[in-house]
Amino acid sequence: MSSPATTPHDSTDAHGHDLAQNRFWIFTQIAMLLAVITGLELVTVYLPFVAWILITVLVVLSTVKFMFVIFYFMHLRWDKAFCTILFFIGLVLAGGTMWALLKLFGAEASKPLTSAALAPVASEVRAA
Amino acid sequence: MSSHAAAATLDPHDDPTTTTGIPNKKLLMWAFLASDCMFFGCLISTHLIYRLHPPPGTPSARQVFSIELTSFSTFILLMSSLMMALAVNAIQKGNLKSMRWSLLTTIFFGLIFLGCQVYEFRNFVFEKHLTITNSILGTTFFTLTGTHGLHVLIGVIWLTAMLIYSFTGRLTEKQSIDVESMGLYWHFVDIVWIVIFTAVYLLEYI
Repeated sequence: MSSPATTPHDSTDAHGHDLAQNRFWIFTQIAMLLAVITGLELVTVYLPFVAWILITVLVVLSTVKFMFVIFYFMHLRWDKAFCTILFFIGLVLAGGTMWALLKLFGAEASKPLTSAALAPVASEVRAA
Repeated sequence: MSSHAAAATLDPHDDPTTTTGIPNKKLLMWAFLASDCMFFGCLISTHLIYRLHPPPGTPSARQVFSIELTSFSTFILLMSSLMMALAVNAIQKGNLKSMRWSLLTTIFFGLIFLGCQVYEFRNFVFEKHLTITNSILGTTFFTLTGTHGLHVLIGVIWLTAMLIYSFTGRLTEKQSIDVESMGLYWHFVDIVWIVIFTAVYLLEYI
């Protein structure tokens, strides 16, 4: 008995089904990975290392989670590059603003004046 | 069927009828999300800046926060993102029943997240006496996490509306872009929380 003839449409459906099935497993595996990374982040803050190492580890782990979500769950991996560029424009502007603000307000001259530091100035003003 | 139409059926990510080849709804959503990045970037920066110079009398965030509850909320939101991705996958296959179950689970997880946030806010206000007006930590914290919570609430309402709409019979494989756009919004809420979880909560424990 000859096997039933496969039309191009059947082949397309089969390919689409395989792709969808593959994505189901990809999404499930990524979700498990993200859960594990969240657990790792939680453990990291209790590790007895210097702060800058812990902060670096946390930033890297968060970035990995962030990238997995945008490239797989948000389909950027399969979308046209323009979507990635558009989103990263916003992301870079936001990141740049955050960096600039933190640098600006983290500077020594940005520290708020306390009443003790203001006392000599106030007495000079009163004397004048 | 023309080759363009066939391509559109094969790949739900492309739309050959637009200049960019990207469906307009999706492009609009990505542009909105890019602008929302800047909005949340400013709110997170404000919180971090005031944490750099806490005025005298500011309560210790470490004594106020509950890392266990926040970790649970983070896990719930990640799982809701998985269910949202599966809902988009299902509608692209034309599997309406599977999409409905995935949407329902996403709504359920979204409501759990909101419930956790309401519990956390209540706990902070009534047990830890941290309000939006009595300290700079309260002001920046409630503004940031409250804005995020509002985004989650809007997402839950949108998901519910889409779930109800799916029963009208007008939501088919061809309208999968509507579900995909909603999915993009929901995943964005998740990635913002990924940043908030690290920048606002975890950094306090170092």
